[in-house]
Amino acid sequence: MTARSVLGRLRRFPLVAPPWPSSLPRPAPERRVGLDYDHEWSRRYPVRLARAVVVDNVTRPVARLLAPPTIRGVEHLRHVGAPAIFVANHTSHIDTPLLLSNLPVEFRHRTVVAAASDYFFDRTWKAALWSFLLPAIPIERTRVNRRSADMAAELIGQGWSLIIFPEGGRSPDGWGQTFRPGGAAYLALRTGRPVVPVHLRGARTVVPRRPRHDTPPGGSGTESAGGRRLVRAPVTLTFGAPMVPDDGEDARRFGVRLERAVEVLADESVSDWWQARRRAGAGRTPSHRGPDASPWRRAWELDRSASTVASPSDAPSWPKR
Amino acid sequence: MKSLVIERNVARFAAARVMAAVAPGRSAGIGPLRLAEQDPPAAPAADWYPVLPSLSGICGSDLATLDGRSSRYFEDLVSFPFVPGHEIVGVAAQGAVGAGGAEIAAGARVVIEPVLGCAARGIEPPCRACATGNTGDCTRVAHGHVRPGLQTGFCTDTGGGWSEAGLVAHSSQLHPVPAGLSDEDAVTVEPVACATHAVHMAALRAGEVVAVLGAGTLGLALTAALTHLVEVGRCAEPEVVLVGARYPHQQRWALEFGATSALPADALARAVRRRSRSLALGSPRLGTQQLTGGADVVFDCVGSSESIAQSLSMVRPRGRIVLVGMPGRVHVDLAALWHREISLAGAYAYGTEGGAGGGAPARTFDLAFDVVARHRTGRLVSATYPLERFEEAITHAGQAGRRGSVKIAFAPHAERSASKGPRR
Amino acid sequence: MSPRPGFVLEVDRSTPPTMFWHGEKFALERLPEGSRVVYAPEPSEPLADPVAAIRHALLHPLGDRAPLPDLLRADMRLTICFDDVSLPLPPMQPPDIRQMVIEEVLTMAADAGVDDVVLVAALALHRRMTEAELRHALGDRVYDAFAPHGLLLQHDAEDPQNLVHLGQTDQGEDVEINKRAATSDLLVYVNINLVAMDGGHKSVATGLASYRSLRHHHNPQTMRHSRSFMDAPASELHSSNWRMGRLIAANGVKVFQIETTLNNDTFPSSFAFLQRREWEWSLRDRATYGATSAALSATPESTARRIFHSIRSPHALSSVQAGEVEAVHEVTTANVWAQQGVEVQGQTDILTMGLPYICPYNVDSIMNPILVACLGLGYFFNLYRGKPLVREGGVLIMRHPTPWAFHPGHHPSYIDFFEQVLAETTDPVAIHKQFEESFATDPWYIHLYRTAHAYHGVHPFYMWYWCAHALEHLGRVVVVGGDTAAVRRLGFSPASTLADALEMAGDVVGPSPTLTHLHAPPILLADVR
Repeated sequence: MTARSVLGRLRRFPLVAPPWPSSLPRPAPERRVGLDYDHEWSRRYPVRLARAVVVDNVTRPVARLLAPPTIRGVEHLRHVGAPAIFVANHTSHIDTPLLLSNLPVEFRHRTVVAAASDYFFDRTWKAALWSFLLPAIPIERTRVNRRSADMAAELIGQGWSLIIFPEGGRSPDGWGQTFRPGGAAYLALRTGRPVVPVHLRGARTVVPRRPRHDTPPGGSGTESAGGRRLVRAPVTLTFGAPMVPDDGEDARRFGVRLERAVEVLADESVSDWWQARRRAGAGRTPSHRGPDASPWRRAWELDRSASTVASPSDAPSWPKR
Repeated sequence: MKSLVIERNVARFAAARVMAAVAPGRSAGIGPLRLAEQDPPAAPAADWYPVLPSLSGICGSDLATLDGRSSRYFEDLVSFPFVPGHEIVGVAAQGAVGAGGAEIAAGARVVIEPVLGCAARGIEPPCRACATGNTGDCTRVAHGHVRPGLQTGFCTDTGGGWSEAGLVAHSSQLHPVPAGLSDEDAVTVEPVACATHAVHMAALRAGEVVAVLGAGTLGLALTAALTHLVEVGRCAEPEVVLVGARYPHQQRWALEFGATSALPADALARAVRRRSRSLALGSPRLGTQQLTGGADVVFDCVGSSESIAQSLSMVRPRGRIVLVGMPGRVHVDLAALWHREISLAGAYAYGTEGGAGGGAPARTFDLAFDVVARHRTGRLVSATYPLERFEEAITHAGQAGRRGSVKIAFAPHAERSASKGPRR
Repeated sequence: MSPRPGFVLEVDRSTPPTMFWHGEKFALERLPEGSRVVYAPEPSEPLADPVAAIRHALLHPLGDRAPLPDLLRADMRLTICFDDVSLPLPPMQPPDIRQMVIEEVLTMAADAGVDDVVLVAALALHRRMTEAELRHALGDRVYDAFAPHGLLLQHDAEDPQNLVHLGQTDQGEDVEINKRAATSDLLVYVNINLVAMDGGHKSVATGLASYRSLRHHHNPQTMRHSRSFMDAPASELHSSNWRMGRLIAANGVKVFQIETTLNNDTFPSSFAFLQRREWEWSLRDRATYGATSAALSATPESTARRIFHSIRSPHALSSVQAGEVEAVHEVTTANVWAQQGVEVQGQTDILTMGLPYICPYNVDSIMNPILVACLGLGYFFNLYRGKPLVREGGVLIMRHPTPWAFHPGHHPSYIDFFEQVLAETTDPVAIHKQFEESFATDPWYIHLYRTAHAYHGVHPFYMWYWCAHALEHLGRVVVVGGDTAAVRRLGFSPASTLADALEMAGDVVGPSPTLTHLHAPPILLADVR
């Protein structure tokens, strides 16, 4: 008997799964990814313990090595009891680990991250990975889904803090985007927990969002060979004072207030708290959405504002002789 | 009377095959060929005449047989033991009647047309191929009153050219040699006839791009034949004839015989690309480039896996590849053949050419005589050896290109000392 | 101590051997007594504050041009063109001069609120630059602001949609250039003027032109009448470009020309001996020479090539001027001559030169035999004003390994030119007539030029035309230490040693000839009296 025939025998039913008779309708397999992903396991005690070990011994050292942080305003958190809702601007994939690993220890191990279901939960393995590492919970980018809102509210009720990026995705060019309505503001109203605005600066230098090159006509796309992936660069995290909705304020209006608050923090991170406050008071806080100009000028402005701030002494980004 | 004989000896064939893989062209010593005392063969029938060879070439197919590289397909088409040598010029040992009824006096020089068709085999009526003059395509090739053997030089009954004792040839195989041709010229008539046939097979159209892969005897003969047939109007004039020739002397000969340019093999693909103004796919660095267009016709005068793959990579869609060199078992990716609708045709021997658009019907051998007379292809005979030095001769033939030679031949009746050394 | 000018040394018994470049290697050769060696001037003092100098040049333009900020309006079309990877040589240590200039220009444009800004690499028929090369030339800041939005373009001489025909000069020369550049309200061209040939009207008229336009001056006839390219008034190449440039200006294309000159500081301190006079070599120089030569002879060719191509030159900015093309170019040329000019008395029978590993067309690539010929006969031979260094009918001896090797990605048409064209003839006129058109219009070369990183199909012809003047002028060309087959294919004579080459030269120029050695690089321009 040849090896081939032995193999052939082994590949037959009942040693392998039976085929489905074609005359019978086959029920659709159960979908367990995306919003429907069951992530309850990720908050069980042993999993939390394992995650805490990873976050403290891998995520945090790596993030600190790659992006040495300057942390401002962390004293605001002293008077906030857990749980809280953190809202931040979003420019890079490194934002989440950066923010998570730089949270004070009383928040760090009891915080979930709202992550886009279409990107982080589209495959079972990805869903499991992010649920374990962050822990992530799936939300929809564009609108408030009733089920995910209920889930988030329930978790906050259980004492879990929540990180949410209200821009609904990473910035395409480094400038801020309009905050999506609902989300953080809605949850704050519903749960009565405070919202902490956070601004992250410099993350985009560490892990840039790789642009989809508009290849010129006939371009072969071979050019991107020299591109950069990871760069060690300092980052600044600026925490703001916790905010609660005013009496009678609805989610939309509160959401706008949150966006303004992050804008003021952005200003503060390149100047100082007092100047930023004064400009805010005079209504002259620069928009985090950047100038309304052509793409190159937006890019140029972004770079100019960032570099004048990071190290005002050497404005040009190349070394002087 | 000495002859070189090949016997059916599996061990020797196997040994030769191993040796050939290790040191190409060095297998003569241990291979199936040996020098033996033999009587001349007896005439199988009335119209067979004895011939004493004066020169007999060593062909690529002979080398393949000696190295054990030959396809097993031929096993039933030959009869052992046989005396090799099918490129033969010799003298008629007695008065004879040649092909087409030509009178041949005793002592006159003749060239043998080695294919053994129905006429030679005494088969009446002849098969359809032989009836139309295409003896190379005879369908009774292993039958009749001579034992199997597709040609003289592969058949026990006829003998072959590598022999002092001589051979017997059927009247239809005898062609008198014109006075103006030397023995060297005459011994190249057979390969030139193969080349002439291949050119006709390709049915060239005016302005086509032609590539010739390989510039050994066949590639050079083909270049010469193509040039001549264009001159006499039997073949449309191609735009360019690009010859892939590895060695400088091959390049010189190819240009001499009328090639537009002669380049090393890797440069050939580039020249074909430029002349056919095609684009290319794949990496030029990895050598896996495939032309999107390419030559209209490629003559593969090598017949190896590599040469067929190379031909496929440089012929245009719906182009033609003519296999002139004898292939064996080859490993070739035919995806391109299928996708590009390429015709891959063999071109084995000869018969009658023309008729449809190729001028008046003519015997391939007659045309070949003209090509030889025009281009003096005898100049390609670089060295001749006596039979006793067969090992040296076979080794030389196997390394012909590297050693600056083209055609190596045996001179069975030459004085021992008078054999020519290698000649450019 | 102020930098010393270039000078001519007469070889006597006490002169140490002379260093010859030999591709990725060097050699020390003893020249016959009485030979002359022409040395380049030492690097001039760089500008103390290059940024301030650039800003000053932009604010105080030469000729009939307003300061740059006055030319910028928010609603305008602004195009900034820059020289490609062929300049400077070797590529300079960051920051590249183009980055420094362009950042200043862009800062002014941002202040003026100009939205429509496009950057164009003025490639002419050169290969497209890679992302790494563009980042090196422009800096990450500029690259990241423009490339992702498709605002950083590379001139495409084969894109009919992006070319515009502006007319013909009075000599019937077609002027066809980049459409974006021609239809902009302001065209800022950032030059690096490494040699006196660069810049002027040649920047736009050549750098942004199409084949249809280039063929009028890139041909054997023009090249033979450019004596030399380094001396614009005596150069037919430049006369043609000037006619075209004036036609471009007459068509309303407003060019703001920025030209920069670099000093002669060509090699980093680890290779200091390369730009020092042999009798001044310190212990350290001698040790580096010995160690480098020994290491290189043990290194595989490709590794040696990689090592050399990673050299970044410490070139420093020596002058910058901006404004109207002709006014700017006059000052620039004077500055180039001030740095590189050397006065030489009388011609010579035999000119020797050692060719380095790099020429304008093989940055990060292989110096193939055609480029060897072009560097020797096209560039070094033409580094003169007045008369060529070597007399008519004299002999040129070059040292270079001249390998039969090509970069298939960068120089595909060179391979075919070498294999198929030079095998038939080496006469530039015959080559021009018989082969140029089929190469220039070959769809495969055009495809590779437009989409990959290949020089245009016709580019090897231009390399050969560059040699046309020298080929006509010289009695013989000998290559020492080259691949014999490759040297023969070029139509030159191979020699294994300089002594053999001198013997061969003697057959042409007669006994006891005069000999002059061109000790370059660093680049020098011979003012032959």
